[in-house]
Amino acid sequence: MFSLAMFGQALVNGVSLSAIYVLIALGFTLLFGIMRVVNFAHGAFAMFGGYALFFAYGQYQLPYAVAIMGSALLVASAGLIFEYLVVRWFYHKMFQSMIGLMGLNMAMVFTGVIVWDAHERSIPAAASEVLFVGDLVIPADRVVVLGVAIVVLFLFWMFISKTKYGLAMRAASQDVEIAGTQGINARRVYQVAFFIAIFMTALAGSLYSQVYALSPFVGERILMVAFVVVILGGMGSIPGAALGGILLGLSESFLSTFFGSAVSTFVTFGAVILLLIVRPWGILGEPE
Amino acid sequence: MLVIWPIFTSNQFLFTMASMVLLSAIGAASLNLIIRTGHVSLAHAGFMGIGAYGCVLTQMYMGWSFPLALIFGCLLSGLVALAVGPIILRLTGKYFVLITFMLGEIIRMIFIEWKSLTGGSNGLGNFPPIHPIFESSINFYYLALVVSVLCVALCWRILTSELGRAIDSMREAEKVALCSGVPVIKIKILIFVIGCVLVAIQGAFQAHLIKFVDPTSFNDLASLNFVVMNVIGGMFHVAGPLIGTIFISLFPELLRDYVDYQRVIFGVVLIIVMAALPGGIVGTFARLRGKK
Amino acid sequence: MFSTRILRRVLFLFMFTAWSIVRAQTPEELKIGVIAPLSGGGTAWGLALQRGAQLAVDEVMAKGGLKIGNKVYAPKLVVFDSQYTAAGGRVAAERLISVEKVKFIIGPIGSPEVLGALPVTMKSETLMLSNGFAVPILKNPENSPYNFRVLNTSVEFGRVMVKWYRENYPKSKKVAMIGPNDSVGQMVVPQMAEVYKSQGFEVWSELYERGSKEFTPILLRMIAQKVDLFDLAGNAPSEVGLMIRQARQSGYKGHIWQAGGPAVDEAIAIAGKLSEGYMSFNVFDFDNPKAANFVKAYRAKYGSGVINAQTPIWHNATHMLFESMRRSGGTDVKAVRDSLEKLDGFEGGLVGPVSWGGLAEYGVNHQLLHEFLIVEVRDGKIVTRATITPQKR
Repeated sequence: MFSLAMFGQALVNGVSLSAIYVLIALGFTLLFGIMRVVNFAHGAFAMFGGYALFFAYGQYQLPYAVAIMGSALLVASAGLIFEYLVVRWFYHKMFQSMIGLMGLNMAMVFTGVIVWDAHERSIPAAASEVLFVGDLVIPADRVVVLGVAIVVLFLFWMFISKTKYGLAMRAASQDVEIAGTQGINARRVYQVAFFIAIFMTALAGSLYSQVYALSPFVGERILMVAFVVVILGGMGSIPGAALGGILLGLSESFLSTFFGSAVSTFVTFGAVILLLIVRPWGILGEPE
Repeated sequence: MLVIWPIFTSNQFLFTMASMVLLSAIGAASLNLIIRTGHVSLAHAGFMGIGAYGCVLTQMYMGWSFPLALIFGCLLSGLVALAVGPIILRLTGKYFVLITFMLGEIIRMIFIEWKSLTGGSNGLGNFPPIHPIFESSINFYYLALVVSVLCVALCWRILTSELGRAIDSMREAEKVALCSGVPVIKIKILIFVIGCVLVAIQGAFQAHLIKFVDPTSFNDLASLNFVVMNVIGGMFHVAGPLIGTIFISLFPELLRDYVDYQRVIFGVVLIIVMAALPGGIVGTFARLRGKK
Repeated sequence: MFSTRILRRVLFLFMFTAWSIVRAQTPEELKIGVIAPLSGGGTAWGLALQRGAQLAVDEVMAKGGLKIGNKVYAPKLVVFDSQYTAAGGRVAAERLISVEKVKFIIGPIGSPEVLGALPVTMKSETLMLSNGFAVPILKNPENSPYNFRVLNTSVEFGRVMVKWYRENYPKSKKVAMIGPNDSVGQMVVPQMAEVYKSQGFEVWSELYERGSKEFTPILLRMIAQKVDLFDLAGNAPSEVGLMIRQARQSGYKGHIWQAGGPAVDEAIAIAGKLSEGYMSFNVFDFDNPKAANFVKAYRAKYGSGVINAQTPIWHNATHMLFESMRRSGGTDVKAVRDSLEKLDGFEGGLVGPVSWGGLAEYGVNHQLLHEFLIVEVRDGKIVTRATITPQKR
């Protein structure tokens, strides 16, 4: 069982898992970092992204790149409406935001059930070939996800560290009042941050739904993953999301392959609990 | 009034629903104790499960009578709370929420994986009843009433006593309380253990009401329900969790025909309550009365 | 004056007669309870139950109502969500019985909800046509007087299917099973493991936490075991398609089938071309001309999504209930129950003639043994390889 070929394949699987996990966690950690909001509706927005892609790519058959970007943009724009109606009442209010956003999640998910029915659907794959590299088997659609993850991570990092808006967002996340005295419009910054976060979340959701399957309940697992990745890597930290995603993806792949899924789950949970006890702000996070 | 109404009807459904509401009130009130110390626990249903399985298993396999089995279930829950309490109660805010969430999941997974003991996902049925008298819904209702009143009264006594004042001071200004000589962490552990023991009582009785124990009754959604009961009813008033329990338990029954719409409305209600009514239902009434 | 009196009397007599005739023809409402999981994990099956039963009711109403004896009834479904939990099943049953005053219930589906509802329905002598794989549902000290199981469980079809596989693929030696650790998986996987072992197979099995969609690590683990057959028994339709797709994408070349489900349509929908060669237990052939009307009615009412294969089963169960009422001449529960027990041979129209069995396994003949199929996916279409009627035991 412990052969080089198995090891290699577990690595390939782990990397593809990591890509998905990183994408899922990015939007989540951004919202926490800037607005200190634990977005319990994260899964629901991801689910909307999935349905948007389903219609854009599956039904209307737009070219893939257009479909992916377009659907994420659409959901992010719709997200701004939710931001205006619901989310902005909860900034910097930890506890209320949790329950309030849970309510938003429930409302969104079951609206999805009413509109789209509960059954699972499939979104046609962007690339259905399977690549064979030596002994290794690499499905092409996972490579697409990996590619998107890398591009998005890079673009986002550039935005945050190099552009004025990025700088404004970081300033607002550290101290919103002082940032205000420097002429930064907190409201505008939050809206931009929210837009970007939902864009990434919808993108992650559409890719996730494409690789797996789409239903109104697809967000449950997505939210769990986001939590674990962000706790591991550090809440509010972008490099933390990347690190957490890689750690979770690789460990799940290796542990499940060689020791079974129960072991993998227990170890993951154990690691998270240990981290919460010893270093709750995550590996790359900062204590508050 | 709670004692008299059953005389006027013979509707079994009402008795069962009422018993469920009464038992849930124990869970909500006991969680309220823990919340008052500043910690929101998402593991509460897990401890309810420990009480349920502890009681039922000793009845089934050791032939113990219900009172003895009940005490065992509570002790087991209390011991687990005592073991993990000192570790997790050092965390605050969202970290405590997250770690109790994980704890709840671990407890649930143990229920599922330890098939030989707990019957796994297929649960346990066919265990000896509390006593043949309580097979009738109306008698069980009175039993639930007595138990529930006792437990809630205990919570109320704690909250209105010297201990209760210490708890409030801890929540509002922990460092100041420490300096005043309040043994903060010890009290937190004590309250956490008491809360977990009380919800174990609910678990044992509820198992006998439904005559079935399975892991899905003790999952994160069940824990979340207790939190929502507290939040909607009002966390900082004694009556809060009780009002919340009634609301959460009965709301689904009002909209039985439209499950999906029900959930959507529920979600919207949560948003509105959280955004606009932070004190919950009870808190809002208190504010309105105060204003007048 | 004499004539107006007579006229008045004749008029009155005429109106009274007319009124009686009209009253006899106006159907009396007959409430039938339905308990189904309409939220949470079992929603796909819950909808199958609700829709199947409703289509049966629609058919009866289209023919002018349910004629029992010399009265006409208008059956009406009262549907409650059980949320796939024991407490949910219990509360739904209580409300149906105590508040809605129903005497007949169709459903629930999952073992926990059935076990939650049983104490109440048994005590109140309410007739239930339900599912649930757990053995104590039928095998209990009271001999399950009012509960009937209307779907084959792996006990009924597992052995026959494995024997069929052995005969057709004698070279296969090792089988793998990957299932969820919920109530279905934990019951079905060990049961089927025993069946395989008794037929000389070597068995490897693993259970996963329900909710996960990523099976490649476990599948990689399975492929390392070098198995000939991969059985998806116990998996929900949503996971079946993903497992097939991911298994093939991971390079697994052996047989894949499900001695359970069925979830063939879902498999084709999700796994697409990769479902080629997939075999499965199936209860219904949607391409059969007999099914055409059913499919048309379903599509007209419920849209174009996948029709869950449990739908015709519940449609059949509802018709069985109606027929038992007709034969017993009324709506008395004990009489209807006795009729139901003697319904062998009745054709509900979609799943073959009724046959009750299960005496050897459960102590009472309340297990429906309906005809089933072993099918294979070829070119995206479902092809029947064998039609099997379980033996009465």
